[in-house]
Amino acid sequence: MTPVLLAAAVLAAAFSASPALASGDAARGAALAQERSCGGCHGAKGVSDQPNIPSLAGQQAEFITLQMILFRERLRDAPPMPDLSQGLSDQQVEDLAAFYASLPPGAPEDRSPQREAYSQAGARLAERLRCGVCHLPDYRGQAQVPRLNGQREDFLIHAMAGYRDGTRRGTDTNMNAVMYGVTDAEIAAIAHYLAHRP
Amino acid sequence: MKTRLLALGLGAAMVLPGLALAQQAPAPAWAQGRPDAMSSSNLAPHPPKMTTTPAEQVPVSALRVPQGFKVELWASGAPGARMMAEGPNGTVFVGSRTIGRVYAITEQGGQRQVRTLAQQLNQPNGLAVRDGNLYVIAINRVLRYDGIEGKLDNPGQPVDLTEAFGLPREEHHGWKFANFGPDGRLYMNVGVPCNICEFNRDTHAVIISFNPDGSDRRLEAKGIRNSVGFDWHPTTRELWATNNGRDWAGNETPQDTLHRIRRSGEDHGFPYCAANWRDPAITTGPAACSEFVAPAAMLGPHTAALGMRFYTGNAFPAEYRNQMFIARRGSWNRDQKSGYDVVVAKTDGQGNVTSVEPFLTGLLDEANNRFLGRPVDVLVRRDGSLLVSDEQNGAIYRITHGN
Repeated sequence: MTPVLLAAAVLAAAFSASPALASGDAARGAALAQERSCGGCHGAKGVSDQPNIPSLAGQQAEFITLQMILFRERLRDAPPMPDLSQGLSDQQVEDLAAFYASLPPGAPEDRSPQREAYSQAGARLAERLRCGVCHLPDYRGQAQVPRLNGQREDFLIHAMAGYRDGTRRGTDTNMNAVMYGVTDAEIAAIAHYLAHRP
Repeated sequence: MKTRLLALGLGAAMVLPGLALAQQAPAPAWAQGRPDAMSSSNLAPHPPKMTTTPAEQVPVSALRVPQGFKVELWASGAPGARMMAEGPNGTVFVGSRTIGRVYAITEQGGQRQVRTLAQQLNQPNGLAVRDGNLYVIAINRVLRYDGIEGKLDNPGQPVDLTEAFGLPREEHHGWKFANFGPDGRLYMNVGVPCNICEFNRDTHAVIISFNPDGSDRRLEAKGIRNSVGFDWHPTTRELWATNNGRDWAGNETPQDTLHRIRRSGEDHGFPYCAANWRDPAITTGPAACSEFVAPAAMLGPHTAALGMRFYTGNAFPAEYRNQMFIARRGSWNRDQKSGYDVVVAKTDGQGNVTSVEPFLTGLLDEANNRFLGRPVDVLVRRDGSLLVSDEQNGAIYRITHGN
């Protein structure tokens, strides 16, 4: 009985969001990432060691797919990604997303030591802004909402400031509204907290 | 240097815990008006899908239509397909939101060809065709492609009418439904830039019309929160419009609505009233809903009733003649998903809605509370068939009757 119930629960979870998900092939995505040298910036194992370049290991596949389409359609301006994504088919985008989603997430080697009080301040701010409603309380993300745990601190600052300043938006404008009026110091504290979460 | 940085860091650490957020951040639009009791709800808008769904994965085998009708996959490979308009030569133009594209679909030898006609636009949801010219309405932009069907492979630069129309710039609920009325004017909606709030009731939550060149703006209806679908009755010429009710007022409240607009400028009540319900979130305004025009029909809570057309063809049984087909994209702000179908609203001789019945179903899997597709628009073609766009699958279905 239990295995059947479990299987049903897993199935229900798999189908709870949108249909026709996870059509990417991680192995094909790995080959394509190699061919396109994605790891040159995002890290060989999807953990970035370059400032302002996000880690992709363990990221939500649907998030990666949607962002890659925004790059390819030149709807999100973040050089050099719009140029680098030209010519990618939908299938290739989904393959890349499946590959990076399959990699174990990890912290960058150059991560600064955690400052406890600073992290706690960031945690309180994140709670106040209700980040966990969409990113989930453990900040692993879901579907089009990205995983935040262990992301590069500088990139998190860059992304949050971009949403606040209107230089970036997602597949909708919710993050722009969330970041409205949040100060640089507050963004930095939130980023420090999230970057040091396991 | 290092020491100074460290000191700065420590300073920030000591100061921050006592800091309130500099400015109370407004809730994102989809969360506005949410009561504390629902603050931990995990309901959130469903993600869009911007990649191609291969034809064999489009859930056409799940679709159900009434006996005597047939539904088939007409076109696929148009990610984000939403509002439709047909050109004089039969080209079906299709708008989108997030992916920023306008498609043109043509038929040859029983096969459909999907072209991307325009891209990089900000939510080009509104499409209308007049005298062979295609009007594309994105947020705050109006573009006209003259003689479009003669240059589908190379549409060139459109005429930019943005300045003449002078549309509001707000993104939220700023995407358009558009169509030409029987009076030759171009009609479109301007939705409310929030979930529930007070705003200028003459510029937002309205349906407006213009001369085709953008001059002579006229208010057609006000107090309609966001109408993403309207059409004119084939004989009375009255304007009828669907409307999306607000979020976070409970699983059953308020209902989405259908509105009959008998006179230009009528007030349909939002934000004070929705579906004959006095919204307690708005403390100003009249105490009762009786001074507003009541909706013509209820279309279900949170169902996202969007594209709507009167059936003007001759290919369906007589009972469907001059009745309304309405696409319901499906709910996000409701624990048990609802909508994800096409319904038909039938009226009597006086124009009273007598029933709202399912017509195209099968995209909602109620047992597992999941959906397979999201119908956004319906279009009656000249041959009397009915097209239905499915945004989630980037597909268009065709419904015919008999053999």
